[in-house]
Amino acid sequence: MSEQTPVRTTRAVQLTESREALGGRKQFLGGWRRRWNRMARWQQWLFLIIVLAAVYYLPVANPWLITTEPGNDFPIACFQMAVYALVAVGLNVVVGFAGLLDLGYIAFFAIGSYTAAFFTSPDSSLIHIPYLWTLPLALGIAMLFGVALGLPTLRLRGDYLAIVTLGFGEIIRILATIIPAARGQVGFKEVGHPPGTASDGQPIFSVSNGVPWYWLAVTVIIVILLLVGNLERSRVGRAWIAIREDEDAAEIMGVPTFKFKLWAFAIGAGVGGLSGALFAGQVGFVNNQKFDVATSMLFVAAVVLGGSGNKVGAILGGAIVAYIPLRFTAIADYKYLIFGIILIVLMIFRPQGLVAAKAHLLTYSRLALDKVSEFRAARVASEQEKAAAAEAAKGVPNE
Amino acid sequence: MTTLLELKDVVVGYGRIEALHGLSFSVEEGEIVSLIGANGAGKTTTMKAISGLLNLSKGSITFDGDDISKVKAHVRVARGISQAPEGRGIFPGMTVLENLDMGTYGRKDRTGVKEDLERVFTLFPRLQERRTQAGGTMSGGEQQMLAIGRALMGRPRLLLLDEPSMGLAPQFIKQIFRIITEINEQGTTILLVEQNANQALARAHRAYVLETGTITHSGTGRELLSDTAIKEAYLGVA
Repeated sequence: MSEQTPVRTTRAVQLTESREALGGRKQFLGGWRRRWNRMARWQQWLFLIIVLAAVYYLPVANPWLITTEPGNDFPIACFQMAVYALVAVGLNVVVGFAGLLDLGYIAFFAIGSYTAAFFTSPDSSLIHIPYLWTLPLALGIAMLFGVALGLPTLRLRGDYLAIVTLGFGEIIRILATIIPAARGQVGFKEVGHPPGTASDGQPIFSVSNGVPWYWLAVTVIIVILLLVGNLERSRVGRAWIAIREDEDAAEIMGVPTFKFKLWAFAIGAGVGGLSGALFAGQVGFVNNQKFDVATSMLFVAAVVLGGSGNKVGAILGGAIVAYIPLRFTAIADYKYLIFGIILIVLMIFRPQGLVAAKAHLLTYSRLALDKVSEFRAARVASEQEKAAAAEAAKGVPNE
Repeated sequence: MTTLLELKDVVVGYGRIEALHGLSFSVEEGEIVSLIGANGAGKTTTMKAISGLLNLSKGSITFDGDDISKVKAHVRVARGISQAPEGRGIFPGMTVLENLDMGTYGRKDRTGVKEDLERVFTLFPRLQERRTQAGGTMSGGEQQMLAIGRALMGRPRLLLLDEPSMGLAPQFIKQIFRIITEINEQGTTILLVEQNANQALARAHRAYVLETGTITHSGTGRELLSDTAIKEAYLGVA
């Protein structure tokens, strides 16, 4: 593996360069990608471990200038950033990979929140299960809703799909208001939390202590990133990218486009549900007030800001969108105005987002390149064989 | 010769507007068949109906003896129908190699992919030179080559070419048509839709003239080339 790395890296760099020619814009974070691709495997791992350690240490360190205190508790702010980052990772599968504009993503977040509330809050008459079980349950239920919404609507394209999803977001919010079982504005108190009691008798995962919640959320993000990353590199990921680039062309290449769009939608919905359940657990309270369309737009803004189609970008975008109103409380009321301006400026100067969608099929192209060099080697070998045979044929009569 | 593709009384509409009014024609195995017609005659609609991107309102399409009218587009690829769509329809952000590999997506077995790649690179050496370049950054002619090459990667029995000469420089047009004949001689049946009637008729074994959704003339390529009515309408010869 390690001997191959230099060769692979030069190829990767060439590919990135050829693709960046398409974007045509100046390097910004692109230089980082090149540097990343040039690193050896072990360097990449070392770098990742250091970054991860820093990420886990962040709320404890509470660094000066970055901290959101005294306005907002920093560990809890970190948790909210992590939740937004997770939301953005999920929405990025839908918007970034498969190119489906979902403006009602908040609906899945709401479904996840209510799932956690229904099964853990004493205000709910349903059976109660441990909080941690509600995480996979929220994921599953949100996925089902994703499929239910996707089946009839994914035959629509572009603007039409955006409008339908926008409607769906509103439907869920209104249902939460009018269905008596959802308890409207009264909502559910004392939503569950993971087990464990600290030495002072308080639960470890208390509403006021953001650090363990943050660690839980970051761990969930890492797991989801691994899963999504694997999908991205698989046949499924290739199908998504083909659909995003040209849906009709993908279909006539033999890609079952409807099926893969539905998958993207369901996976995105599942991650949305998961983040909703996490959020509900930390806040400890769920009612119908948090799931408005404006927040849904903020989610899309996070993905676009970070760089549609890039996981790292999504995390960054989500974290920034959550962080700015928490850090600058004086301007928090104007957050939509500020994000609006930021997005306009960004679209003018860097339309691909902070971290551009990477040379997507890179892993795959490496394979393709290997295939080509393989078959070339085989051809060269067969030519040599032929030449040798010809030599031998010449040689025989001489003897 | 056996009939590979047969359209019977095919009606296709966009909403309430009917684009094809009972179209019938057939393609025999091993042929190049050209479908010529002016703008709006229904050429691309016919192609999309065959590849499955559009549903039929009436009529049937038979491929290799099976009725495929209700078969989904991505399944038709696996059956052996590949299309190089109008306006090229390549994946602009993917490299040439990635585009070509997308062409194999519908294939069940991956054996012979290498040989097919080699074949495409032999037909279009330019693609080999540009293999790591993003498809969207290439010239129109190169993109057309890529679209045809990508369709070939699916190892089709029937290759549908929708206006391969559209928007190309004259020397590219000649080259593309020469390659089309070459592909056909290697054993792939070809259905060609063209506005460039001269080349399309000269290269075709048989041809049909499509006017506002129905077939008005049919015959061998040579017959149609010498037909005065067609000369006037499509070849610009008075």
